[in-house]
Amino acid sequence: MTKEESSAKLTKPSSEHWFTSPTARALGALTIVFCLGLLFNADGAFYKWGTHRDMLRAVSVYGILSCGMTLVIISGGIDLSVASILALTAVFFSLFTIHKGISTPIAILACLVIGALCGMFSGAVIARFRIQPFIATLAMMVFARGMAKWVSGGQKISTAVQQSDGTYKYVNVPQIFNFINSKVLGDNITVVTLIFAVCLIISWILLVKLRYGRYLYAIGGNEEAARLSGVPVGWTKILAYGMSGLFCAVAGICQAAQELQGDPEAGMSYELSAIAMVVIGGTSLQGGRGGIWLTLIGVLTIGYLEKILSINAVGEDKRLMLTAAIIIAAVLLQKGKK
Amino acid sequence: MIGQQANNSQLLKMTGICKSFSGVRVLTDAQFELRAGEVHVLAGENGAGKSTLIKILAGVHTDYEGQIFLNSQPVRFASIHDAADAGISVIHQELSLVPSMTIAENIFLGREKCRGLWLNKKEMIAESRKLLAETGLDIDVTQNLGSYPLSIQQMVEICKALAFDCRIIVMDEPTSALTDVEVEKLFTIVGKLKKSGCGIIYISHKMEEIYRIADRITVLRDGQFVGTAAAEELDRGKMVKWMVGRELNQQFPRHKSAPGQARLKVTSFTLPDPAGKPMPAVNNVSFDVRSGEILGIAGLQGSGNSELLNGIFGTYGSSAHGSCELDSRPYKPTTPANAISRGISLLTNDRKANGLVLGMNIVHNVTLAALKKFSPLGWLKPNSENKAAAEQKEALNLKAASLKMPVDSLSGGNQQKVVMAKWIETSPKVFLLDEPTRGVDVGAKHEIYELMNKWTSAGLAIILITSEMPELLAMSDRIIVMHRGSITAEFDSEQATQEKILHAAMGAQTN
Amino acid sequence: MTTRILKGRNMRRTISLLIIALLVGFIALTGCSKKPADKEDKGTKAKWTIGMSQCNLGEPYRVQMNADIKSAADKHPEIKVVYKDAQNDTLKQRSQMEEFISAGVDLIIISPKEAAPLTPVVAQAYEKGIPVIVLDRRVLGDKYTCFIGADNKKIGKAAGKWIVEKLGGKGKVVELKGLMTTPPAQERHSGFLDGIKDANGIEIIFEADMKWLEPDARKEMESALARFDKIDLVYAHNDPGTHGAFLAAQAAGREKNIIFVGIDALPQEGQAYVKQGIMQASFEYPTGGKKAIELGLDILNGKKVEKEVTLSSRVFTKDNIDSGGQLLKD
Repeated sequence: MTKEESSAKLTKPSSEHWFTSPTARALGALTIVFCLGLLFNADGAFYKWGTHRDMLRAVSVYGILSCGMTLVIISGGIDLSVASILALTAVFFSLFTIHKGISTPIAILACLVIGALCGMFSGAVIARFRIQPFIATLAMMVFARGMAKWVSGGQKISTAVQQSDGTYKYVNVPQIFNFINSKVLGDNITVVTLIFAVCLIISWILLVKLRYGRYLYAIGGNEEAARLSGVPVGWTKILAYGMSGLFCAVAGICQAAQELQGDPEAGMSYELSAIAMVVIGGTSLQGGRGGIWLTLIGVLTIGYLEKILSINAVGEDKRLMLTAAIIIAAVLLQKGKK
Repeated sequence: MIGQQANNSQLLKMTGICKSFSGVRVLTDAQFELRAGEVHVLAGENGAGKSTLIKILAGVHTDYEGQIFLNSQPVRFASIHDAADAGISVIHQELSLVPSMTIAENIFLGREKCRGLWLNKKEMIAESRKLLAETGLDIDVTQNLGSYPLSIQQMVEICKALAFDCRIIVMDEPTSALTDVEVEKLFTIVGKLKKSGCGIIYISHKMEEIYRIADRITVLRDGQFVGTAAAEELDRGKMVKWMVGRELNQQFPRHKSAPGQARLKVTSFTLPDPAGKPMPAVNNVSFDVRSGEILGIAGLQGSGNSELLNGIFGTYGSSAHGSCELDSRPYKPTTPANAISRGISLLTNDRKANGLVLGMNIVHNVTLAALKKFSPLGWLKPNSENKAAAEQKEALNLKAASLKMPVDSLSGGNQQKVVMAKWIETSPKVFLLDEPTRGVDVGAKHEIYELMNKWTSAGLAIILITSEMPELLAMSDRIIVMHRGSITAEFDSEQATQEKILHAAMGAQTN
Repeated sequence: MTTRILKGRNMRRTISLLIIALLVGFIALTGCSKKPADKEDKGTKAKWTIGMSQCNLGEPYRVQMNADIKSAADKHPEIKVVYKDAQNDTLKQRSQMEEFISAGVDLIIISPKEAAPLTPVVAQAYEKGIPVIVLDRRVLGDKYTCFIGADNKKIGKAAGKWIVEKLGGKGKVVELKGLMTTPPAQERHSGFLDGIKDANGIEIIFEADMKWLEPDARKEMESALARFDKIDLVYAHNDPGTHGAFLAAQAAGREKNIIFVGIDALPQEGQAYVKQGIMQASFEYPTGGKKAIELGLDILNGKKVEKEVTLSSRVFTKDNIDSGGQLLKD
């Protein structure tokens, strides 16, 4: 935009801008999907609150991953290891609580630490050794998945505990699993959804309220300018990936609770869904732009789309094609000013 | 003035050009005329409408009122390709090159030579080599563009535009990143183009350059045509008056203050070359700068002056040897964050690359280097940020519709002011300025000079690098000249002359 | 050049709207059959809706299962079957079950991915009054109407006995097991061991978990071939596994010296392999699709059904392949 064009803006009312803002565009895609739901409501299933509550529950684990992914993408990076760290912590959590009987708070804390450490390791490799985030997190993705399989012995860690003589003893499901799986507020909302909401709020505070968030945006926008302005680029990045790992651990705990087992194969391809949700929301993969509420919109868009296809029993083949078409349409709708 | 070979045939005529953006007029009845074989300078402050006029000619804006005649034929371009096909070539101010591609690839970007489906790389390499040779540049065209300094990149941009047959060439600030030697090469090219009958539209902010190169000058102000005159008939004062509507007598209002104590003292500073070349970028340099003083550092391409400032600031980490003292306390450059905390600020010579975060708004850019001040315990206080930004807007006379607009929508001069505001927020003791008025229009330049005065009278020490000799001579209290990493001369402002400085910059030792 | 074509926001809007229109068209034409012009176009609208929750249509066995259900259901215009595929995702299957419950279907047939995580939702349907037929894989507890499945132990034992007979009581056997955390694999393994326990000459020289997957089975077989010069027989828990082993042996040029035995005997898979001489024996693991519809209709018509229904199984060999295999006795 030239100087002439910018002086033209002097007299333009700012309210005119809202309809082209990223939020409006993301809401546009969500609205279209929602209307599709109203149209193809599967004999009224879409009008029942239970359907929405279940959609929220199904999408919450992906949403928690997307929170961490948002932080990392805003800083100009990407995290491919989110699904593997989810599996790793799911395995550890089940191991701790079901097999070893470790108390819940300690087990949760341990898993959060494990997730954060994995993330921070990726972050350190990226920050200190200047390795591209794609490569570094790809390596972590493979490593964490391998570690999950190793720790679990390749098996699902479930309430069927294998004894030394080869037989299986069945233990009770830990209380925490039941709690996470339960519905509250009169059966109207699931605990996982509430956990997702908490993660959203934490992300919001980090991105908008704290100095740290400003550093993330600056690094994503122009890393060199940020560095020369005194921003601690290295630490900021390490923390971003660490937070992503932390959110993955939360997601892993929720996943274990819902499946009633720690599955080392859990979460396959979840990283792609998380990235898609962030991108559809409008956060740019280049970094420096976007926000957590945009991600929420992206999460809901994909969540509703899947739910609508599911209640209408659309076959897998068509489901994949339609999802791809919606993703492209949503991204096209978003492309306005660069 | 370069050889006058104006044949009187009219190449281009633009009349009655009007253009609005969202209801706001940016060009009103603008006109412009170009003859074959002439260099016609288009002058005006930032915001005057020059860029818009040029963009209309280049086919970027297709929605305008008025008429364009090419060789007396009325034309209306529907796209950039249309204009290019009609023989109009534009050299942009912002480089339109890809650093990760080779020079040859860049020159033929978008118009690759092909043999059927296959790229004809050999031919493109040979052609580019020839083109560059004509401009006197002898560089390896198969190397990536990004590995060359900015001035070379700008020359490649120029060659790119010349790679194709064109009748009309628009050059928008082509010398902003060039050294004097390369500027001469450019003028030689311009001379050749004139002889071949091309018409050149030249946009520049450098007075010397304008008077050196122009056959005619047209001035726009606030989107309107003010006047056209032959260069020899238009004196500087009158031209500036046309541009700003007021007499600017003192172009360089330097109020010297009595210098105080040494704020920064640098001894035997040696910096290994950041790009890994065997010769150090800065070799055993010692100097000091006092509070209230502006120390100018002159130098041509490769002199190491920019690297010196960056080295002091910690851009390259702690790879430098030698010792520094800041307000009589030892200082070791380690990181930019450390330098900032000690009170050293660096205004880099490329604000878009590393001075501003273009996607962020003005407030956030202004507070970025001093963010700790606005976020006690890590919690941001947007009110204090907005207040500080508003104060800076006042103090620096920043022209922006709203402080929430992203900085990439500001003009060059205003962007530079935002960067300066950012550094002022850190309460610097020593301010390193690397080309502070590059790409900035006359009015804003003046304001920046006044700011430099204000800062020095408040006790700041300023080190100034500028490739505009008049600016260097007028604003510096003392001048040191660097050549290939070493200091070759030192002058007081009264002793210094352009010739002496140039000699020293080209290697003659006068110490 | 392409930038010229794709320039302009209007173009982008048009493309996105086009895609959305395509999308809407697609959905309208497919899944949600609100159109009465389906199978029941003789004027009779379906009286009952059956929800079929399949855990993973990526497995050929389950594709066959759904096909069997469909062909059985097509004969009865008074029922309409809605199929949902969870793509091997437990939580998705749970979600789809909840959708069935919420939609108030008249009967649910479910082939669950895993027992424990899906037990609560099956119980939920059952307690809401929706009859649930559990097919092929079990859930825990007893909150379901009826379970239909074949007896994997019996099949494994029959396979073991057939192998003992074929090898004359002596031989080196490779066992390629299905995912050993799933009951079918465990039972086909323990049944097999039961079948060979009296034959001391049968030696299992190599066993590996190929997770029901042909590529994995092939890899494991390649390892076995590399380690052992003499392999008499390969027993895999499913036909794809046997086929993978066959391919590995063929690549090593040793397929003529090895006997291949598998389980499932789908018409286009195991039975075809036996016909072609790739496998020497395939033990049928019936899908139970037809039985499910049969019992489903009984339930919907108010008749009482058995809680546990065991399907009978056949063995297919070269001799009897054209006559439809031989029924296994107890």
